[in-house]
Amino acid sequence: MTDDAAFWHRIQFAFTVVYHYLFPQLTMGLAWFLVAWKWLYLRTGDARYGDAARLWTRIFGINFAVGVVTGIPMEFQFGTNWASFSKYAGGVIGQSLAMEGMFSFFFESAFIGAMVWGEKRLGPRNHFLATLGVALGSWLSGYFILVTNAFMQAPSGYAFAADGSLRLASLGDFLLNRWALIEFCHNQCAAIVTGSFAIAAVGAFYVLRGDSGGQGRLFLKWGAAVGLVASLIVAFPTGDAQAKMVARLQPQALAAMEGRFQSGPMADITLIGQPDVPKRQLDNPIRLPGMLSFLAFGTFHRDVPGLGAFPEDTWPTNIELLYYAFHVMAGLGTLFILLMALANLQQIRGRLESSRRLLWILMLAFPFPFIANTAGWMTAELGRQPWLVYGLFRTRDGYSAAVSSGATLFTLIGFTGLYFVVGLLYVFLVGREVLHGADPGMEHA
Amino acid sequence: MVELWFAILCLMLVVFAVLGGWDFGAGALHFIAARNQEERRTLIAAIGPLWTWNEVWLVAGGGVLFVAFPRVLAISFPAYYLALFLVLWTLIMRGIALEVRGLVDSVLWRAFWDFGFAAANILLAILFGAAIGNVVRGMPLEANVPLSLPLFTDFGVRGPLGILDWYTVSVAVFTLVCLCAHGASYLAVKAEGEVYQRAKALTKWLWPIAVVLLLMVSLETFYVRPELFTRMADRPLAWVALLLTAGGMAAILTGPHSGAQTRTFWGGCVFIAGLLGSAAASLFPVILYSTVSGEYSITAYNGSSDASSLRAAIYWWPVALVLSLSYVWFVRKHYSGVHNKKDAPY
Repeated sequence: MTDDAAFWHRIQFAFTVVYHYLFPQLTMGLAWFLVAWKWLYLRTGDARYGDAARLWTRIFGINFAVGVVTGIPMEFQFGTNWASFSKYAGGVIGQSLAMEGMFSFFFESAFIGAMVWGEKRLGPRNHFLATLGVALGSWLSGYFILVTNAFMQAPSGYAFAADGSLRLASLGDFLLNRWALIEFCHNQCAAIVTGSFAIAAVGAFYVLRGDSGGQGRLFLKWGAAVGLVASLIVAFPTGDAQAKMVARLQPQALAAMEGRFQSGPMADITLIGQPDVPKRQLDNPIRLPGMLSFLAFGTFHRDVPGLGAFPEDTWPTNIELLYYAFHVMAGLGTLFILLMALANLQQIRGRLESSRRLLWILMLAFPFPFIANTAGWMTAELGRQPWLVYGLFRTRDGYSAAVSSGATLFTLIGFTGLYFVVGLLYVFLVGREVLHGADPGMEHA
Repeated sequence: MVELWFAILCLMLVVFAVLGGWDFGAGALHFIAARNQEERRTLIAAIGPLWTWNEVWLVAGGGVLFVAFPRVLAISFPAYYLALFLVLWTLIMRGIALEVRGLVDSVLWRAFWDFGFAAANILLAILFGAAIGNVVRGMPLEANVPLSLPLFTDFGVRGPLGILDWYTVSVAVFTLVCLCAHGASYLAVKAEGEVYQRAKALTKWLWPIAVVLLLMVSLETFYVRPELFTRMADRPLAWVALLLTAGGMAAILTGPHSGAQTRTFWGGCVFIAGLLGSAAASLFPVILYSTVSGEYSITAYNGSSDASSLRAAIYWWPVALVLSLSYVWFVRKHYSGVHNKKDAPY
């Protein structure tokens, strides 16, 4: 019965956070495109950049609003659904969550209204500054959330208080956790991948539709160029560093990600295969020999422990899902590099706008970075199990004992319905903006 | 240090009540102060581009509660589980209605979101009021027994308690009227045209009703928690807050009739801040009052996080506060004065 409650608390948090993060990843990914276009418009007066910034600012505004309203429940759920965890770690993770409110929410919220509706009231220079403020605020917000997550993945800067709960020992060690720094670089580049795929997709749509305004060309060029660079950085050096860190600090998670049960040197990397946990083996695998040793530790001969080397009560609780999530993320990440490399090649040859098949692929590819980002976060969070704070506090000890599984299921169903409607509304409103396109030279009043 | 964090937490919630309060109050009057869609556009424009900034005081206040008083969070949030989700969902409805209302130029679209917006504001004002009522009345806390409160029982303040009883409902009604009056004062300095005229008229009778209700709620509070008033006598801060309340009260009762909209508006702000301040000063140090026995109450002292955590946070909190005020100063320059409907899209 108690396990039952823990399960529903986990599902509700997982559902609400996955849904929420669909929006901030696009916000953070688009923010710097907007800053760049506003800057170029301010410097050169070239109306194309002003029009592009105006269209994407309207989309950004809708996206931001949904991100805000779906984000507030995340903070509340620490208290409502994870009260034992909040009591245990509040003195530490409360710091970064309170800092997010104090430093980034005030920052973003002061400027977002002015950015979306105030181009005329603010004038070009201050409107650029408002856009910059929202971009900085949204990235800062991301950092504080990643500091919180990093503490749960690899706690640092803490000590034990007299009652056994955690207290802060060093604010510096907590905020500059190595895990947070690497995760931030990896995650933010992945958000830029989402943003550039969205921009390239809209560009491809306009070109395929036969728009003559030049916006399609601009979006394709920027989306493909930034998309290639960001996809590369997501893989190397940031993804590589992330994997090496997991290998060092969460060896069980790495073994489960690769479906590796036996230890040994010259560890293979699995491209395809299905983990069979009861039999402790990987069915019909296709492997690259030695690559896991190399990727995780930089040498082919290094021993990489399998799950068998660890006590079973420290294994991730859902090895299959973790394995698939990791392979979906890594596989899609590789495909993103190939697709964007091809798009840039055609762009350089001056043939991108006439490659209709490639344009169709670019137009339909925009959901996949959302899937890859989600799969990446599933890898991180499933890999952390069975711990809520790695090595210190188990997930099953963290939920609110006062809340029944029925009450949680009730609110979960409520969220499902509400978020379905919010999703429909979002698709309708953003779809309208995209179909409408940019109004050349029209300043939004 | 603990006292300081109690004061910071109260400060953030009081600022939310004043700033967020005028947005919620104006929104609750959406169908009364504004009679057609053009006027409602004016009202939305008057709420303005800073409504999210105003609401962040609540969210950041939650963050301060988390870092400074995690035990309070861990006991009260599960105890009010379903009520809190009602607040969350209503906040989502309100935020979405406010943001998307003007995006589509269609009469039916705007009518739908106008209704959702007004209903959400009224419900939220009631829920926030009931929350204050619950903090003052207390909850049946015992040692190591997870607490979960039903929505209502027999509406009595003794015996088995629910979230709603005659006392918390009266506080909720007072809060609704008070925020409506506050919202009307705000519209009377920020809006133009018909909305301005109606808001001005509303302040003339909403504020006196709020004052009468306050007297009733005070008498009820004396019945429910008499010790709060005796404690108030030897707390200088409570006296200062009461003086402010009295000053604000004078302004809101006289201002509307002498046509001094600005005085009424500031009077309302001071009135609300003073009222909450005096309540906080007499509740201290108890945050979650146990109706079972005083020893089970969660106070600022036994509910706070470790001194090291509080010390670390006191370094960054003032920095963040100054930064946040400076951004708003930058944006406000561009949005000072009266707002008209041109600031909202449709």
